[in-house]
Amino acid sequence: MWYGFAGKLLRVNLTSGEFKVEELDKNELRKYMGCVGYAAKLLYQEMPAGIDPLAPEAKVVLATGAVTGTSCPSGGSYEVCYKSPLTGTWNQARSGGAFGPKLKYAGFDFVVIEGKAKEPVYIYIHDGKVEIKAAKHLWGLNVEETTDTLIRELDDPEISVATIGQAGENGVLYAALINDRGRAAGRGGIGAVFGSKNLKAVVVNGRGGIKVARPKEFAAAIEKAEQWLKNYPLGSIPTLGTVGLVSLNNSLGILPTKNFQETYFEKADQISGEVLNRKYQIKRRACYGCSFACGRYTSVISGKYATPPMEGPEYETVDMFGPICGVDDLEAIIRANYLCNVYGLDTVSTGMSIGFSMECYEKGLLTEKDTEGMPLRWGDGEVMVKLVEKIAHREGICEFLAQGVKRMAEQLGPAAEEAAIHVKGLELPAHEPRSESKVLALQYAVSPRGGCHMHPNWASTWDFGQLDCGMKEFGMPWPPKEVQDESPQKGIAYRYVALQGEISEILGACIFYSWGTEGSCITPQLYAEIVSSLTGWDVTAEELMLAAERSWNLKRCFNAREGFNREHDKLPKRFTKAIPNGPAKGIKVVNLDVMLDAYYEAMGWDRATGNPTPEKLKELGLEFAIMAS
Amino acid sequence: MGDPSLCTGCHRCEMWCSLTKYGEINPSRSNVYVVRREPAVDVPVVCIQCGLCINVCPTGALKRDKKTMAVVVDKEKCVGCGMCTNVCPIGVLRIDKETKMAAKCDLCGGSPACAAHCPQNAIRYEVANKAAAKRRELWAMAHAVRNR
Repeated sequence: MWYGFAGKLLRVNLTSGEFKVEELDKNELRKYMGCVGYAAKLLYQEMPAGIDPLAPEAKVVLATGAVTGTSCPSGGSYEVCYKSPLTGTWNQARSGGAFGPKLKYAGFDFVVIEGKAKEPVYIYIHDGKVEIKAAKHLWGLNVEETTDTLIRELDDPEISVATIGQAGENGVLYAALINDRGRAAGRGGIGAVFGSKNLKAVVVNGRGGIKVARPKEFAAAIEKAEQWLKNYPLGSIPTLGTVGLVSLNNSLGILPTKNFQETYFEKADQISGEVLNRKYQIKRRACYGCSFACGRYTSVISGKYATPPMEGPEYETVDMFGPICGVDDLEAIIRANYLCNVYGLDTVSTGMSIGFSMECYEKGLLTEKDTEGMPLRWGDGEVMVKLVEKIAHREGICEFLAQGVKRMAEQLGPAAEEAAIHVKGLELPAHEPRSESKVLALQYAVSPRGGCHMHPNWASTWDFGQLDCGMKEFGMPWPPKEVQDESPQKGIAYRYVALQGEISEILGACIFYSWGTEGSCITPQLYAEIVSSLTGWDVTAEELMLAAERSWNLKRCFNAREGFNREHDKLPKRFTKAIPNGPAKGIKVVNLDVMLDAYYEAMGWDRATGNPTPEKLKELGLEFAIMAS
Repeated sequence: MGDPSLCTGCHRCEMWCSLTKYGEINPSRSNVYVVRREPAVDVPVVCIQCGLCINVCPTGALKRDKKTMAVVVDKEKCVGCGMCTNVCPIGVLRIDKETKMAAKCDLCGGSPACAAHCPQNAIRYEVANKAAAKRRELWAMAHAVRNR
């Protein structure tokens, strides 16, 4: 009998068109706790180094965790784990909506997808049954059309559809997988991986539910979480959505602008969360089981950017299609967001690729000869929207843009390097690493999937947000030194920030709920109460920490095996130069190496290579990940 | 009483209902329903305790609870024939797949779990007159929207 988990893994081989259901081993699952932890073990053991992420041998794991689909307020998430075609690293893309919960209600914790179908197919999983169905008629359709067609065809309005759009079919290296129309497993190019497998969509629905080991105790723990979240410190997330950050970040000089050349945007008040709420919001929308409802449904009713109701835009997206491209027209931003959703594109990498090309145009590295006569000027919303459309179809200049910033810069030569804002090939998101938080700068350098602020956690919670998130009792340095400090304390602190975030990842929880202090967020201690009463395992916060550490180390091992090491833990050159204007003028990153040294040491990793030592791996019970070299 | 203007479609009410009634989290074993459709439609559907089902029950298994005035299922008498589900005007009665008996909202004896835990206050347990006024409003609006 399984509590909390469905207890089953589904393995689908698209080459042979066969699938099999595997029973999970309780002890093994508990060791990694689930979700990305267990997926990291699967991919490390089943996907040898050097496999082309777009080859049939590449595998994809759809993963849910203990709290996915439960009334734990953060339980709307699932994760897609794979090797990224954009970066060549480990990647995990989290998404909300209803997909994860419904996959679990259908009776599966994990789906492993292997091989490549001869012709377009989709996978239909419902109540323990699995079908691989022809998707020829869906190929070429966008996300909305695909979702609507499948709802009609399967005659079930309650299904959850995770699908790619044209961008994934066309192999755009940062194509996303979109579920429930507007929720994106966005980063790293999972859409291209689906496309390479001729896999259009995965459709789920189930009536199985999730059994609870100790219902009364579980209800009490969830009630506690609901109470605690009433004191949530980031109150603007529920009321303004993440877009509420635009005004705040701009006032602090940490709003990335013009491809990170600046950190302050004069016209930020025209694209703020307040304006979005007042003029374009239809309603707030929640992921499955979420008590915050940070999602917005918006539309532009008329004009050249008219857009049907659609999820978003989020803060990241507003910055990417706004300040990053110098655009101050919120309607153009909403339109660009809409197009990304229906074509299946990561808004961050799309916006950054456009911002990069605008900077290259400004500097004369790209000319109208390259762009079919289209000037790529800062602030031109119309051109930006056109580029999004062309990227999805890889038309003209956008064949070039569809490869992402790193590859573009390599082709344009050393002069473009300065404008290439990425780490390990992943374009940076809308958080300024010089001025927002120096732990964030470190995170960008070391995050397993490249320049990322969310995996496994938003590092700025600790020093910028002054939130301990329940980690003080594990030994997290407290109080944080000031935000711009670059002493070893930052490196040590990041160990705790990362592991705290990783706890959410291995439980299948949304990270937003774990930002606060005891009494105002779901701390690891409270997660332990929730998971214990749910699964019947008596899990402590320490055990969650240990499982998180396993998962975090395994991802590092995955990357190490692909040839990544300390050398690749670096920031774009731009961040070693001072911010030119705005409230954060003069700030730069100076001592990344000091923070790196301290972080590796705190993790028990080798300082020279930045990778886990054999001793560390033995200590964690990960002997299989010790490399032969 | 369910208020679509505040509902965000999170389905927490369904989870609390099934957890309270069956000790599991399973929206398909819930006596409160959220209909979430595109674009941007989220409607919590709850039993209004009208009692039409009482009249059609062949075994007398449905009756009104004197304290809460809720229509409740007598487990001793219900045979799971489904007559009540046939007649329910808003479709909030179902035959439970495990107990094989009629399942419906019994207002949790006067403190409904869904209302207590709705994060948006979209499901509320109100005094009769206030609830009736809101129901009129919702019924009228639902029809007005269709005519627009």
